[in-house]
Amino acid sequence: MSIALQPSFLLQKGKKLKNYKGKIQNITEKAKNVYEIKIASSLENVRAGQFISILCPNHTFRRPFSVADFENNVITILMKLQGDGTKYLSSLKADDEIEFIAPLGNSFEILNKNCLLVGAGIGIAPMLFLKKELNKNNIKNYLITGFKEQNEVISGSDEIKLGGSVLERLDDIIKEKNIGVIYSCGPYPVLKGVSETAKKHNIMSFVAMERVMACSIGVCRGCTIEILKDGNIERASVCKDGAIFRGDEVIWE
Amino acid sequence: MGIEKLKTVLKSHNRSLVLKTPILGASGTYGYNNEFEDFINLEYLGGVVTKGITLEKRLGNKGDRIFEVTSGMINRIGLENVGIERFIKEKLPVLKEKKIDFILNIAGSSFEDYEKLAKIVNDNNIKAIEVNVSCPNVNSGCLEFGKNPKTLEELVFKIRKNYDGFLIVKLSPNVSDIKPLALAVQNAGADCISAINTLHGLGIKLNYNGEVFTKKSVQGGLSGRCIKPVALYYVSQIKSVVDIPVIALGGISKIDDVFEFISAGADAVQTGTENFTNPSVISDIAADIEEFINKNNFKDFEDLKSKIRLARG
Repeated sequence: MSIALQPSFLLQKGKKLKNYKGKIQNITEKAKNVYEIKIASSLENVRAGQFISILCPNHTFRRPFSVADFENNVITILMKLQGDGTKYLSSLKADDEIEFIAPLGNSFEILNKNCLLVGAGIGIAPMLFLKKELNKNNIKNYLITGFKEQNEVISGSDEIKLGGSVLERLDDIIKEKNIGVIYSCGPYPVLKGVSETAKKHNIMSFVAMERVMACSIGVCRGCTIEILKDGNIERASVCKDGAIFRGDEVIWE
Repeated sequence: MGIEKLKTVLKSHNRSLVLKTPILGASGTYGYNNEFEDFINLEYLGGVVTKGITLEKRLGNKGDRIFEVTSGMINRIGLENVGIERFIKEKLPVLKEKKIDFILNIAGSSFEDYEKLAKIVNDNNIKAIEVNVSCPNVNSGCLEFGKNPKTLEELVFKIRKNYDGFLIVKLSPNVSDIKPLALAVQNAGADCISAINTLHGLGIKLNYNGEVFTKKSVQGGLSGRCIKPVALYYVSQIKSVVDIPVIALGGISKIDDVFEFISAGADAVQTGTENFTNPSVISDIAADIEEFINKNNFKDFEDLKSKIRLARG
């Protein structure tokens, strides 16, 4: 029997979004081209799986980031250098001000089962926050992360797979640890593989989907994916209906 | 009161539409009803122009739908919407409950679609509609209505016959001459023109991994700050041939932009893509205009508008 400890829809009900002013506390390069940014603001609550979207000057789209930690009104995000927007953010210094919308999206549904957390590359970010939430609730969990090379490794997991694919390790871990649910964040093929592996073992999976976003609040319909709801194909927005989806609901390409 | 000063009246030959303020949220960027409630002071919202509504529900396009470009974006959403029936059942009550003024945007792919929609909105006492004849995303001929003056006049006439409220037609900039189209719309009995819809655009992003190039591309409608000069041009072109009011949109992000569009002939404006960048832009601009009116002792927005239009050069 599984018990949903914190049904996310209850927590999200009536939750107001806000355009926050934040102050950079510090920025550190955690791994090759990966920055950890700590942002202080008046945001009071955010849950694992939720994200914030930061305004980048001279850019139409805000940049979305999963929350990697939240403590005493300080949000931690992990950012990989990708283009102009992230380059701007990496150039910020302590005490610089930024503007971000939060708290965005749904959150991971926490089940009272042994959890396997799978983070590929920068996908480790929301897994670290989820691990912390699970630990607080005394729920057994195991975080495996995958990186291409040693200089890309971000610390905080129980097992690191260097090179190859994290997917290769899942079958064994599921059996060894008597896993009842998998959570994952990472590139599309990893999420697809996690969902397929969960199905094979007849367990639930929750995946953090990623798409380019324009509004980040569910209005523009720019970031939709296809999901199966009660046997019908529907378009769900990653920013508002997600970013967390049940692996078996996503229609994988 | 302060906000009373922002009241805007759009007067056509036979009707008028009163707006709380001259700043509205453009179709497709402002949702169906109260989506931006968390970010703005609703008193400053001139109205929501709803997402384009079709007779039947539409899932929209598959694949990548948006693409960021310098000072703008390209979209190919493909008119995803809940359909008129669900709009009336689920979205309309929220608008009424929250007392949010709105203009219903309708789109179709045949004369019959538009006629049916016009009848339905008329039966539901919806006081203003904006007709999308220019959405470049639908393959079914939607664009054609907005390209040919004769077809457009026939379409607007047919909608007019079925709809008694304030009728706005949204024009596309993807034409060689917009003046005959604006005239056709006025001749057919429309009350107002909104312009411009998105421009044709193609975004391409290439990536080289050391061996091969991979490519991401999105072809669709270009919008955002980069299209403002194009929009200003078309608004002035339209205003040079018609005397019904014009609601301008295209790259508006600040008070100066609004003044420029008023100078080009606009009576009210919509913000579109900017709502994604700054979700409180409508409140921000409306508050800035209010402050400008008070600081410089204009009587109200109408007074300010007339003074801006006196500027020559």
